[in-house]
Amino acid sequence: MLGEFEYLMLTSATRLGEEAYGAAIRQEIEEATGRPCSIGALYTTMDRLETKGLIKTRMGDSTPQRGGRRKRMVRVTAKGSQAASDFYEAVQRVSRGVSWEANRLAVRS
Amino acid sequence: MGGEPSRGSIVTRMYWWLVNTISRMLESDEREVVLGDIAESKEPGSQALCNVLGLVVRRQAIVWAGWRPWLTLAGLILPLGMLLSVASRTTSDGSAVYIWLYANNWDWALLSNPGFWRVLAETIALLFMWYLTMACWAWTAGFVLGSVSRRMIKINGVLLCLMFLFGELVGAPRYFAYCEDYLHRTFGVPAMPDYHAAVFDVTFYRAMFPLIVQTLLVALPALWGMRRGAGSVRLGLRFRVALWTAAFATLAAMLMQERGLWLFLNMHIANTYLHPGPGMGWAIRLLQFVVFWPVMYLVANAIGRRCYGRIVPV
Repeated sequence: MLGEFEYLMLTSATRLGEEAYGAAIRQEIEEATGRPCSIGALYTTMDRLETKGLIKTRMGDSTPQRGGRRKRMVRVTAKGSQAASDFYEAVQRVSRGVSWEANRLAVRS
Repeated sequence: MGGEPSRGSIVTRMYWWLVNTISRMLESDEREVVLGDIAESKEPGSQALCNVLGLVVRRQAIVWAGWRPWLTLAGLILPLGMLLSVASRTTSDGSAVYIWLYANNWDWALLSNPGFWRVLAETIALLFMWYLTMACWAWTAGFVLGSVSRRMIKINGVLLCLMFLFGELVGAPRYFAYCEDYLHRTFGVPAMPDYHAAVFDVTFYRAMFPLIVQTLLVALPALWGMRRGAGSVRLGLRFRVALWTAAFATLAAMLMQERGLWLFLNMHIANTYLHPGPGMGWAIRLLQFVVFWPVMYLVANAIGRRCYGRIVPV
């Protein structure tokens, strides 16, 4: 079973496709969650996902915006897509019949 | 660096200098990627520093979760750091006396005295051998450490230097105080009068000179040896075995030859058989020669590279 951050990374990388690399994934996650994403969390999670065989990474091209430094390109594997899909379905299943709005109102009253 | 402003306040430049320096503890590919990401996101220096520091801490936490780094720390860095600090203090204090003798009793008329030149030459030769021995011990310790912890060479280099600093400022003085107390309690040896009080009343010889000796003859050779040791994996098996044998012989020699360390061995054996002097055994004579193996290794390496190309790593 994936962790929350692992799922966010797999989903962001899938959305970015060929343009998935560290800085772009980090920006996607920050925009989606509204929270800062640290480089430490990003790259240690990236290593963990690669070890599990859920993504593959390679050194990409350099760009002037990066001061001539290369990117670490990310590609989600079939196993990674399956794991993300399983996680999403599990979240959907466990959320079925739960109304967060109603619960919030009930807790307040 | 690409992302940082080339000009800015001192604090800003300090942040970027720290980012650049701390990121060196990452693997080279990862460092390139991370610094590129930081440059691309155009984040301020303080945030970049937090990010790089966070990644370095996470990487180190993963490494230190295993037992090997702790074994290296407990088995090599702490004892070698302490041993070299004690040896360095013995060397610096011993040579400080000679340097003080010449510096504080200088008289230009001495230059016309042939006997002065002979004694001066003997003194220089003696100090040179002390310093060379010290540097070779430190180089060998670094070589062993670099050989066994290639992937952690940077953090281990930092830890070794911290240990040297601790050993120089705290460990060695406490060790010598303990030695004196031990001698007094065990053998009833009375406290020796301090013949060199005039030398060590001078702040330079008491506080600064030991640090200079520690830096030049211990820390720098040890770090150099670590780099060489990390590269020794590319050598052939026989060559590596020879290097390791020489390294262990040198460390053994350091334990036995260094007068400041004799308490680490049985005192009676040290006093009877192992003390350097005219009565010492052939094994100690051989060890004294082996101690200089780093010099032979480096010379052979330089000759080999000049004559036959790159045969051993630089």
